[in-house]
Amino acid sequence: MEDMELDLTGRLMADMDPDLLEFLRTKVNSFAKWDLLRFFHDSPHTTDTAENIARYAGRGVETIRGELAELARDGVLEENQLGGMIVYSLAQDQRIREMLDQFVKASDDRQFRVKAIYHIIRGMR
Amino acid sequence: MERVTTGIPGLDEMLLGGFLPQTANLVEGAPGTGKTTLGMQFIHHGIAACGEPGLILTFEEFPQQYYDDAASFGWDFRQMEREGTLRVVMTSPEVSKADLEQVGGRIERLVQEIGVKRVLVDSISHFERLSETPSELRALVYGFVNALKREGLTAVLTRESMALLGEAEGADDTLTFLVDSYTLLRYVEIDSAVHKGLLVLKMRGSNHDKGIRQFDITSRGIEVRAPFEGREGIMSGSPRRMVDSFVQAFVRR
Repeated sequence: MEDMELDLTGRLMADMDPDLLEFLRTKVNSFAKWDLLRFFHDSPHTTDTAENIARYAGRGVETIRGELAELARDGVLEENQLGGMIVYSLAQDQRIREMLDQFVKASDDRQFRVKAIYHIIRGMR
Repeated sequence: MERVTTGIPGLDEMLLGGFLPQTANLVEGAPGTGKTTLGMQFIHHGIAACGEPGLILTFEEFPQQYYDDAASFGWDFRQMEREGTLRVVMTSPEVSKADLEQVGGRIERLVQEIGVKRVLVDSISHFERLSETPSELRALVYGFVNALKREGLTAVLTRESMALLGEAEGADDTLTFLVDSYTLLRYVEIDSAVHKGLLVLKMRGSNHDKGIRQFDITSRGIEVRAPFEGREGIMSGSPRRMVDSFVQAFVRR
């Protein structure tokens, strides 16, 4: 059963751009992160606290605090201290920004979205 | 005296040429009166006509909202972002204030990198959630406004008014003491139709037109028109014809 599922995943991801697939596997491995990345893509100059970013993203702060920290650890976001607050902003790394742009544009395609959703659900198990 | 033109037909004349450079200019009005449009027009005019890059600090709306709203007036803010003459930054009052207090903070770097000269802060009302104490709030806003001036920026600060028609009740006037100019946008009911009125209440260091002018939001942005004539009590929201007041006062006794 598990072999069959692995085969299905392999077939689903086979035609996906390898860089995009890697980005999906290593950076976007939860729906909350997907939301956060979309937010930072649309608002690339934002620097703010987890509390405010949660408000912008329409999520609870406890849901996204850990996700923000992981995205910072993975180099997608930058985490800094500012006047006693921990603030997050999109990494300046041009390669990361280009990859994020590519991911968000690809997400506009329904087929890509279905594959990405399947991949995330599988990773969450 | 050097002026920072807004590019808004009629308003620059009221301001005797425009805002004074490196000043904080408060624009207050009820929802839908055109505060943000006025601010966007100020930013767009700066970039397109004066070669002065602009910054929009938004505490509520997403950058996409500004791109869409600007596009409805034929202003391509997205292209201006691409060209590096505009930045739309969604942030919070506490973070932007802390950032400006830092040496070499993000906003300071932005100002230096793209040479920002104009800033729209939309809206300054959001500072109110940082403190319930008027004196503390005044100190917070004072520090923020001074930091903008320190960076050499001419700022338009919007503030929401809850009064749809007439005077806002219980409005905190702390901010009006801190800013260099204060412009009010109001709805006015005349003959069962709602019009819009604009009044420059204060302009530190300069004379200005004290009349209450009608204005419209057209496909080109805000256009300030002639003063309301033959009416009084405009700022009450329900003006009377002056002849009616005369009759009421002197004839029907």
